[in-house]
Amino acid sequence: MSEKVKVTIDGITIDVDPGTSILNAARQIGGDIVPPAMCYYSKLEGSGGKCRTCLVKVSKGSEKDPRPMPKLVASCRTGVMDGMEVQNITSPEVIEARKGVVEILLINHPLDCPVCDQAGECHLQDLSYEHGVANTRYEFERRTFERIDIGDKIQLHMTRCILCYRCVYVADQLTDGRQHGILGRGDASEISTYIEKAIDNDFSGNVIDVCPVGALTDRTFRFKNRVWFTKPVDAHRDCPTCKGKVTLWYKGEEVLRVTGRKDQFGEVEDFICNTCRFETKNTSDWVIEGPRQIAHTSVISANHYEMLPLPVIKQNQALIEANKIEFDRASKI
Amino acid sequence: MRKENNLSHLISHISNLVKMARKLLLEHINVPGINTLDVYRQHGGYRSVEKALKTMSPDAIVEEVKTSGLRGRGGAGFPTGMKWSFLAKPEGKERYLVCNADESEPGTFKDRYLMTYIPHALIEGMIVSSFALGARTSYIYVRGEMMPQIRILEKAIAEAKNAGFLGKNILGTGYDLELYVQPGGGAYICGEETALIESLEGKRGNPRIKPPFPAISGVWACPTVVNNVETIAAVVPIINDGGEEYAKIGIGRSTGTKLISASGNLNKPGVYEIDLGVPVEEFIYSDEYCGGIANGKRLKAVVAGGSSVPILPANLSLKTVNGESRLMSYESLSDGGFQSGSMLGSGGFIAFDEDQCIVRNTWNFARFYHHESCGQCSPCREGTGWMEKVLHRLEYGHGKMSDIDLLVDVARKIEGNTICPLGDAAAWPVASAIRHFRDEFEWHVTNPKEAMDRNYGLAKYADPLPKLEEVSQ
Repeated sequence: MSEKVKVTIDGITIDVDPGTSILNAARQIGGDIVPPAMCYYSKLEGSGGKCRTCLVKVSKGSEKDPRPMPKLVASCRTGVMDGMEVQNITSPEVIEARKGVVEILLINHPLDCPVCDQAGECHLQDLSYEHGVANTRYEFERRTFERIDIGDKIQLHMTRCILCYRCVYVADQLTDGRQHGILGRGDASEISTYIEKAIDNDFSGNVIDVCPVGALTDRTFRFKNRVWFTKPVDAHRDCPTCKGKVTLWYKGEEVLRVTGRKDQFGEVEDFICNTCRFETKNTSDWVIEGPRQIAHTSVISANHYEMLPLPVIKQNQALIEANKIEFDRASKI
Repeated sequence: MRKENNLSHLISHISNLVKMARKLLLEHINVPGINTLDVYRQHGGYRSVEKALKTMSPDAIVEEVKTSGLRGRGGAGFPTGMKWSFLAKPEGKERYLVCNADESEPGTFKDRYLMTYIPHALIEGMIVSSFALGARTSYIYVRGEMMPQIRILEKAIAEAKNAGFLGKNILGTGYDLELYVQPGGGAYICGEETALIESLEGKRGNPRIKPPFPAISGVWACPTVVNNVETIAAVVPIINDGGEEYAKIGIGRSTGTKLISASGNLNKPGVYEIDLGVPVEEFIYSDEYCGGIANGKRLKAVVAGGSSVPILPANLSLKTVNGESRLMSYESLSDGGFQSGSMLGSGGFIAFDEDQCIVRNTWNFARFYHHESCGQCSPCREGTGWMEKVLHRLEYGHGKMSDIDLLVDVARKIEGNTICPLGDAAAWPVASAIRHFRDEFEWHVTNPKEAMDRNYGLAKYADPLPKLEEVSQ
């Protein structure tokens, strides 16, 4: 067991294991100081560093070398050093840069949320709501692509894609034989299953779960319902290929879709197999555990579902000061 | 072809001058057959290999390069000796030297010139540098479009191998080196060292996220040094004559000679080898170098180091804000920071005369970066396209006054927020063009019809030069 290193993020100090990224250290603290992440996925090796929404300012490199880092750094791919001081929401520079990134991510996004299946659980929606500005200065035609069916279960709508590469890492790391990658370059690059070859692999459905936007959608769920009208319920089954721990999304008696269990950062706890996801959509297939806890900030939690416990900031004066907005929101509820 | 003939003519012309400029790399460029091993050896070729392998230790070579003060010639200007000494040397792991010959910066064509005419200079440098770094396999990553140069290099490597300068047990010293030429796919981004490494490994040329730097984990996760063609070729004279001798050339921390690819509205465009520290004014106007602006026109602007460095108006390119003469050196060209300076970069010197449209040129550069962005990180992928579209609109007379500030803001959002320096390279030309030529952009908005028919001319940059305090504001 190596010694812990001390890192200070927005004035809050925490001891973490060496090698932890700034983002993960911030997640251990929790609250509003966690930088948003669109491309980083803790369960996918090598992901992150691409979307640039998690940029933070390192105002003190480490105890040994206290010089600040010259540029903003991607917190998901920068390891902590002992004595490092990081500014996230306390740095106007970071807020400004993040606004820029959000605007830039949105310039080619169709903003077709009213007809998008991802709406309500879309990371880009949350990101632009929390960190963006209300209008755009982009006045040109947006890039569009034809929709592509990747097999009979998944649809790729590249127009919505923000090229986070998460699905590419899933295809690389979860499935055998890589058939999924990026074609083209610049803003003309597109996700491709290597000239539209269908991914037929037991775990290919996970690309839907990892997609932060509505670019990869479940064809068995498309246009069935809005996610905030469905009721998430944790369930499990004895599955020979995966752990079988899923969330069922009910509308009345009917299971509309099955997904992995997503935590508060939108990451699934366990990847699930295609049989669980697409084939077993009857309550009788599952052992119900109880309602899924949903973050209180999510539209899905509205009205009647159990929420994740509120952030702990009420007990901690330092956190209250660093997380004014979060505190106001928490004390209102 | 015409240009090349023109060039060799020019070079023989220059070497006939009594007061000849010092040449280290291009000394024998006009010797017939210098691209063959025999002629190259007759003119002192491969002396450095014999000297280095037989009489020097690898560490001594690195020290020699450190003493020489040689700085990376690819653009960033990082001290080469220091880069070499950072190379990790773990037990049981191969080390690699990769030569970056993916020269694709608009305005830069020195490496292609060097490889075409004296390929053995590069190979000689590769052998010495590989020995210094302890690499037993080295690569020359050549841009995919340069097929002729790839063939020239492969032929030269075969010659060197036959003569015993490559392969097993070189010159009986027990040192083994295999040298390979790897063609790239023809992407600008593969000139970025980590993207080059990815491409060399056979993957998509996306830059890696640093750290780890290639000196720790490069090609196949082994310690790797990536150097520009000219840097590696410059190791040869350093070993032959000694680092101290090399350090005497140049000015301050900019030591040695540098190949400059001069293009644009010049009387004698071409590749020139200069001592670092030559005044920009002398470089443009003296007969020894570019011979002045073509057709008797006046100078409007200069891009001093390839398309990615900030553009400078005529007055600021000849003199710094302090009134000192601007020199062709790393320090002097960047004097004044981004406010009133530029960079030496890769030495792609582009001169614009009074008839050139800065808006059009900026759009052209932006179009290039839009096309060449790898699309990995969002600010560069989307921002370069956005800037190009806005600049296109401005150039074609549909611009708005707010577009100018929009461009500045988008450039600021890209700069420094990307994985690799391509984002910076895309943002700097736009930001600097607006900083120095805002009135021309505004004129394009206020007089869209006129802007289609004629160019803006020199305006406040006309002779006599404006007071420098005005510009620095």
